[in-house]
Amino acid sequence: MAGKVVITGLGTITPLGLNTSGFWQSLVAGRSGATRLPEQLPADLKVRIGAQVQEYEPLRFFSPNDISLLDRLSQFALIAAREAVADAGLSRDELRDGAVIIGTGCGGKETDERVYQMLYREQKHRLHPLTIPRGMPSAAASQVSMASGVTGPVFTVSSACASANHALIQALLLIRSGLVEVALAGGTDAPFTYGLLKAWEALRVLSPDGCRPFSNDRNGLVLGEGAGVIVLESEGHAKRRSATIYAEFCGGGMSADAGHITDPSTAGAAAAISRALQDARLNPEEIDYLNAHGTGTQANDISETRAIRLAFGAHADGIAISSTKSMHGHALGAAGAFEMIATILAIKHGVAPATINFNEPGSGCDLDYIPNQSREMKIRAALSNSFAFGGLNAVVAVRAC
Amino acid sequence: MNQRIYATVVKAISNQKRIDAASISQDSTLESLGISSLDAITIMYEIEDALNLEIPNEALENLNSVKDILDGISSLVQSKA
Repeated sequence: MAGKVVITGLGTITPLGLNTSGFWQSLVAGRSGATRLPEQLPADLKVRIGAQVQEYEPLRFFSPNDISLLDRLSQFALIAAREAVADAGLSRDELRDGAVIIGTGCGGKETDERVYQMLYREQKHRLHPLTIPRGMPSAAASQVSMASGVTGPVFTVSSACASANHALIQALLLIRSGLVEVALAGGTDAPFTYGLLKAWEALRVLSPDGCRPFSNDRNGLVLGEGAGVIVLESEGHAKRRSATIYAEFCGGGMSADAGHITDPSTAGAAAAISRALQDARLNPEEIDYLNAHGTGTQANDISETRAIRLAFGAHADGIAISSTKSMHGHALGAAGAFEMIATILAIKHGVAPATINFNEPGSGCDLDYIPNQSREMKIRAALSNSFAFGGLNAVVAVRAC
Repeated sequence: MNQRIYATVVKAISNQKRIDAASISQDSTLESLGISSLDAITIMYEIEDALNLEIPNEALENLNSVKDILDGISSLVQSKA
């Protein structure tokens, strides 16, 4: 059997803070990152709330020259990667032969939409020469590799809301295969552009007033943004350099519903959960905490509850489950990275974050969702679910070391 | 029943489901017409465009029959007038 893969560094920029300590403090306190969207967004936009990164000033992180090359999603990925690498204490030398795998559901929408506005509305005829490298979906992965000097496999994974989990599992497999010893993996997205917001609005899944996963009064998701990057290493590599290990990344499970483009399938989600347990060689009874996909839509929360019951059987009632999206919103391709980091820190600190905004359990939502108050508890092993439109499911498993 | 509303709703349903408009009646249930949630939001989109309306998300809850859609649209049109 391949050696273990361990987690040695975490980096985030989220609606709950500009770094991981801010993120974790907010999660434990049960603080919502949802706020009113800026007034300068056009008035015909019906959705007026979102979980945006607050007090973010790009010039505090980048030079003006750099910013001209960086879509907002690349800025987020770079900030998260910087923190993760510093947290792991890795040198450029140690990173050189490693991998960078970054998930994104949306790509460089800020760049794309600015360009369309110039061409179609302002009738301009010339575009900035760096429009392509700034907006391409793989821009964030490229920028992180350049900034950290990684010369091994570098690419972007895109599977909508499961992008980060798929990216993390690819990194796990690359390390297990022996192809690389170190990887920076996670996800990034910056979806607060007018066109994308209008498109989400048209799908009628956005909540007008807040994300309330599994609660009877839930009425949709709240979009989020940001990036999460995790340093993964072979256990041998981490031990040789005496790195501090957060936890073991012990498995991943992937499945596709091959069903409906938006309606989730219980069987597909349950298959990904079961495969993650199997891959991690975990008994269902060893799972103490589960970070749910928990979007707060009618369809997801019932289907996910059923999937957890299907995969875990009687032990489903013994798992503490929360949707941290109730706090950081749904950051699409970055969501899985936020949630895996929340899961890792829950194991480390022995505190499971809550599902906030929880009033009464929704019909068909009958598990322990850690309502409103984070819970001190020992966590031996945990899962984090991501289920995407298009029926793409990816579940990651983390074990205490 | 306002004929324009009736014609618009039936046309939107028949376009989306690719079925003969004559096969749709007020009493048809959405289930019998095979209308999924994605069909429903696409039909509402057509109706919004044709009648220059904004249909709130809440209005889509508890729709069971074509008559429910017609009643909902009629009251939206009236409140706009």
